[in-house]
Amino acid sequence: MKTIAILLLTGASLLSHAGTPQQIGQAYAQEAGSQTPGFTASAARGKDFFLRRFDVNAKMPACTACHTDNPLAAGQHAVTGKAIRPLAVSANGERLSDPAKVEKWFGRNCKEVLGRACSAAEKADFVAYMSEVR
Amino acid sequence: MQKILVWDWPVRIGHWLMVGGFVIAWLTSESETFRLLHVWAGSAVISVAAFRLIWGVVGTRHARFSSFVRGPRAVLAYVGSLLRLQPLHHTGHNPAGGWAIVALLALGVLTGASGWATYNELGGHWLEELHEGLAAAMLAVVLVHLAGVFSGSLLHGENLVRAMLTGRKTGEPGEAISSARPLAAVALVAWLFTAGWWLTS
Repeated sequence: MKTIAILLLTGASLLSHAGTPQQIGQAYAQEAGSQTPGFTASAARGKDFFLRRFDVNAKMPACTACHTDNPLAAGQHAVTGKAIRPLAVSANGERLSDPAKVEKWFGRNCKEVLGRACSAAEKADFVAYMSEVR
Repeated sequence: MQKILVWDWPVRIGHWLMVGGFVIAWLTSESETFRLLHVWAGSAVISVAAFRLIWGVVGTRHARFSSFVRGPRAVLAYVGSLLRLQPLHHTGHNPAGGWAIVALLALGVLTGASGWATYNELGGHWLEELHEGLAAAMLAVVLVHLAGVFSGSLLHGENLVRAMLTGRKTGEPGEAISSARPLAAVALVAWLFTAGWWLTS
């Protein structure tokens, strides 16, 4: 029971990590810059990445398998059929507001769709695209 | 002391369904491709746990909470006897194992309920975090439970894993249960599919 209490508190503390799309994008761009000097995030590259077919996973060959090719539109889970709210910040203000959540879903979805972790540069570009698209 | 029937069919089948459900749910926890399998596995865990809570009141002798939920003194006495390598014999669950069962059933219900709420988007990101925290707590209790089962098996010289398959343990003939209650196990499986269908739809 003590363990549960600790876990609940940990869960509650995770709620308070707020951020803006700019801060989240900047953190990834900074990380990418330390690997590739002179890196600047590009929404255009982010769009290419979003639309690219990786064909690693038959049910989810690309981001667009669930999120559609329009980030302003609602998506649909390719397996469960559940609705997914838009990825673009301009269509869904809750997006890119919690760095831990963003990192968690990059971790899960990159592994599943790309078959590998996304690089900091890919994340920075993706965040730039989702912040700017309207 | 001889081999007697201690665990009825609902206890045994429920136990292994819960094991299967928990393992599958854990293995598929990070996957969207296997999300439906994850939800089915989680449904199995919560529906078996819910059934077991009722069976703990109306079930056979050693399945009843009243027969194995004991106070802290009994738990300490048992753990102390384990540490002295001279474990006290309990025909049903020992007092430490009894609390592991209560914790696992509670966590099975709470993890399943928070997972169901997450799947149906009844809460925000915090529900997802809560679900993961509860599942991690459940894994911790599973590991403690396994440590207890294996150390208890070695010290008692009785294979407790096999007992959970055959239902038979060492005990006095008067402590045996008279029926393994196969019909109740059929009801459990029927309930599992009904609840699973409802929870996943």
